[in-house]
Amino acid sequence: MPRDRDPLVVGRVIGDVLEPFTRSIGLRVVYSSREVNNGCEFRPSQIVNQPRVEVGGDDLRTCYTLVMVDPDAPSPSDPSLREYLHWLVTDIPGTTGVTFGQEIVCYENPRPSMGIHRFVFVLFRQLGRQTVYAPGWRQNFNTRDFAELYNLGSPVAAVYFNCQRESGTGGRRR
Amino acid sequence: MASSSTWSMCSLRAALPSISASPSCPSISFPKYPSSSSGFKLSKPKSGPKPINSFVGLAPMSTLLFPSSYQDSSFEFTIIDNGGRISAMRHGRKVPKLNRPPDQRKALLRSLTTQLLKYGRIKTTRARASAMRKYVDKMITMAKDGSLHKRRQALGFIYEKQIVHALFAEVEERYGGREGGYTRIIRTLPRRGDNAPMAYIELV
Repeated sequence: MPRDRDPLVVGRVIGDVLEPFTRSIGLRVVYSSREVNNGCEFRPSQIVNQPRVEVGGDDLRTCYTLVMVDPDAPSPSDPSLREYLHWLVTDIPGTTGVTFGQEIVCYENPRPSMGIHRFVFVLFRQLGRQTVYAPGWRQNFNTRDFAELYNLGSPVAAVYFNCQRESGTGGRRR
Repeated sequence: MASSSTWSMCSLRAALPSISASPSCPSISFPKYPSSSSGFKLSKPKSGPKPINSFVGLAPMSTLLFPSSYQDSSFEFTIIDNGGRISAMRHGRKVPKLNRPPDQRKALLRSLTTQLLKYGRIKTTRARASAMRKYVDKMITMAKDGSLHKRRQALGFIYEKQIVHALFAEVEERYGGREGGYTRIIRTLPRRGDNAPMAYIELV
């Protein structure tokens, strides 16, 4: 039995999407009054609209970037489109929410067709206000390369949840 | 005693802002190993001792603290334990029976491995997930071998042909370097209908 480790490591988010990091900022994602915890399961009907995101920290001057990716696109057994970018918001001031930031890539309603997908929210700290260009397409997005490209360093917070097709067993019974 | 504790819980809950309901009622289950130190097996699932129930009223308090603090170790607010089953030993238990006669058991394991190889990650009960590991590893080992004989053996076990052929085609690049341990089990929240402990099993 594995000893209790960081849920991000157990769910292999660290490994597939991110490098090991130490979280330093609180991140709270709420989908219509239900909070996202690591590894909990949502239904596509609950995540249609973008969530309310609250960034922690204590400084209104530091800006943060939020990325939402799906590392299991199109299916966990065949992640050829890893990762699929669902949402990209930059210049979020600390201690505020995502509405104060600049939405580079608008929120796309996740609709997993096959298998159980993980959806990861990653928060990076920006060095200053910078223009981030939207990638040409959403699939085959690489979070590590993105952080390299814009000098975001290692992430400061991450959280993930699972989601499967509405009409799968996840939809019929809790 | 019981009436006063329920009254205090209700008033506490009413006073606090409503927390979104989690599937099973938040029960703080302290590690049960100290309680089983007397040596007898607790076969009752979820035997919550009476004094602990009065602490359930405190559960909303702790969730209020969580939003501001880091969710380092909180998987969920409800603890994912082993379902109340405590026994220290497994002496002589070689085959997981899964509450089924042998023919059904074999069919169940065949269908579970077929689904796992097809979808990559499935959610099932913990007992089934840990019983399937052996068969999934066997299938991947057969694919690594790659000979016609192994392919036909795999075709006799997996229910869908395309999955076998796809597996034999791609196993080299996915698992060529890995020796064994092709699956991972992540425990998760119990099922609502019967409180069965659930787990995700996924291909590594």
